Amino acid sequence: MKAVERIEQHYLLKQLPQAIALVGLDGSVVDASDSWFVLFGLPPKSIVEVNIFNLLENVVNLNEKLSIQKNFSIRHEMVNDKESRWLETNFTPWYDEKENIKGSIVHTIDISREVKKELEIERINAILKTKSEVAHVGCWEFDVQTENLYWCDETKKIHQVPLSYVPNVNEAINFYKPGYSRNKISMIFHKAIQERTPFNERLTIITQKGEERWIQSAGKAIEKNGEVVKVFGTFQDIHDQVMTETKIKESEQLLTALIDNLPLNVFVKDLDSRKILVNKSECEYLEKSPKELIGKTDYDLYDEEVAKISREEDLEVIKTLKPILGKETISIKKNGQTTNFLTSKIPLFDLQGKVSGLIGISMDISAIKKKEDQLRNLINLTSIQNKKLINFAHIVSHNLRSHSANFSMLLQFLKSEDNEKEREHIITMLTKASDNLLETLENLNQVVDINTNISLKKVPINIYDHIIKVQHSLTAFLDKNEVSIKNEVDQKLVVKSIPAYMDSIILNLLTNAVKYSSPDRKPIITLTTKKLDNKIILSITDNGLGIDLERHGDKIFGMYKTFHNNKDAKGFGLYLVRNQIEAMGGRITVNSEVSKGTTFNVYFNEESK
Amino acid sequence: MKKVSSIFIVDDDPITVFGIKKMLKPVAICDDIQIFQNGKEAFDALAGRLTLEQDIPKVIFLDINMPIMDGWDFLEELIGLDIHDRIIINMITSSIDPSDYQRWNDFKEKCPHQLNFKNKPIFKIEVSDLEGFHMAS
Repeated sequence: MKAVERIEQHYLLKQLPQAIALVGLDGSVVDASDSWFVLFGLPPKSIVEVNIFNLLENVVNLNEKLSIQKNFSIRHEMVNDKESRWLETNFTPWYDEKENIKGSIVHTIDISREVKKELEIERINAILKTKSEVAHVGCWEFDVQTENLYWCDETKKIHQVPLSYVPNVNEAINFYKPGYSRNKISMIFHKAIQERTPFNERLTIITQKGEERWIQSAGKAIEKNGEVVKVFGTFQDIHDQVMTETKIKESEQLLTALIDNLPLNVFVKDLDSRKILVNKSECEYLEKSPKELIGKTDYDLYDEEVAKISREEDLEVIKTLKPILGKETISIKKNGQTTNFLTSKIPLFDLQGKVSGLIGISMDISAIKKKEDQLRNLINLTSIQNKKLINFAHIVSHNLRSHSANFSMLLQFLKSEDNEKEREHIITMLTKASDNLLETLENLNQVVDINTNISLKKVPINIYDHIIKVQHSLTAFLDKNEVSIKNEVDQKLVVKSIPAYMDSIILNLLTNAVKYSSPDRKPIITLTTKKLDNKIILSITDNGLGIDLERHGDKIFGMYKTFHNNKDAKGFGLYLVRNQIEAMGGRITVNSEVSKGTTFNVYFNEESK
Repeated sequence: MKKVSSIFIVDDDPITVFGIKKMLKPVAICDDIQIFQNGKEAFDALAGRLTLEQDIPKVIFLDINMPIMDGWDFLEELIGLDIHDRIIINMITSSIDPSDYQRWNDFKEKCPHQLNFKNKPIFKIEVSDLEGFHMAS
């Protein structure tokens, strides 16, 4: 009978989907569902042999727990060849109809998945904590319902509060610096809850210790069933970063302001001489915007020759790593505009110390250069004038001295002379000396006039006609000496000259040619003109004695220099002519061969100076 | 009175020549006083006398500024001549140009003759102007 009952029961239990077993007081498994056996990895038919105490031998005090006859549950690990799994087994006291204890009803569930999840969460939490510690990124969580605010350790550290500190929303907001930061956080935090707008802001807090620090606070609402339940966020100390950024920005600003406002052209070029930075002055000089200049080379901007020189300089600096400092350069832009610069090129190194290009600095010195040229011209002119003046002073002193010395000497003689005839002789000498002095003074006056009369105006003069005019005034003199004059001057040629000087020049050169004519032949004087580089040259050639220029070349135009034993020679004519020509901005040269003849070339200056 | 065998006066200014001649009268007895208008004439005459083995001048009065060949050029040429006697050369000039004085100093060094420098005006010629230094004594 008993056996039959047992079989029915067993069959009922066997089919239960849940893992359930009936255990007797001695721990033997009376009956169990198939699924229970499966959980424990046992063949379904081995009921009789199985004892719960054997199965759960690792569970401490199972026997005692069972004897208490109360509900309890245990977690235990089942390890077989393939895998390990976590099980949870509930023990419930088992009574018969008369309420006598018969054993336990054992209910087992596989909780491997839950345990795995728990372990995973633990791992993630550990990672999060480490991450937060390493990256100095803290986090916080606000529960909308309870209004509880959670700060992680890092967040607390950033606020410089002890780890035991428990924050609330008001206190948290009050950590923000009054003004912008505090207003902003209040607003965005409110918005995050009300409108679910996530935020991420750089703000300033004042820590517990009173330090003002930059932080980055981000937050995002977390919804559940369409309602905001939490706000989760991160909290990061970015003070050093912001400070560095600010410093860099300030330096950059300073540098840009400095470079842009320098009254110098500044540019940076890469290794291919392409511009990678230009300042305001450089842009203004090249009449282009920075955008138009970046990436351009000198070949795009300057005359080819200039660009080539510049590129060679760049290469030199990049190769030798030696800067070029304060070199005078000339830049010619594509439109032909020429500028003088004082240029420096300095090699530029990258952070690794490798040359990456060069820095160029150019100062426009065109104005200075122009002034320098003007000054040099002025100095040259002054020095020439000065030389002339000294020369003239010597001439004056020498000539006047020689006359006055003669006067003194003759007067001394007169004083001590008794012989009447000799006295008369001395007086004749004195008269002669006086005449000489007068003539000298007159000559000197003429020279002074030329050098001071700068107000005399040049007028256009027809050279041919002027020669004819002078020739007429000299008719008697020329006829007497049987001179033939060949006027081969271009009849239409007109030069700008001072008429009186033109008279003097032609007159002196003609009479000179006659005075120094050769006794062996009749004088022939040829006058010609030609144009050379827009300058008009009047040449007067004679067939006279000629002059040894190697010997007298430098003196021929000097005052009172004569080179022939000629009674009429006073050594003044050529000196006067040279002064007159030079006063008009021209010059005079001479070619000669002894006993062949002489040619004087007069260069007229066409400028109306 | 000093007896001088031969004197050259080289000057293109007739008044100066007249003065020198007049001033020589009371101090020198000389039958051979020659006048030249420039250095070239004087040099040619001197060189001619040298070839003909005639008396060369003992004393020369020499102007600086003259046409054709000036006093300096004359001195230059004179140094080139083979003369054993020491000629007394009195350079007479109205020039007060320091460069002329400097040049005289330079010439004094290289010239084997006695070179004196006299600035105009001169009023008197001394016997000492006609005598060389007494080298032997």
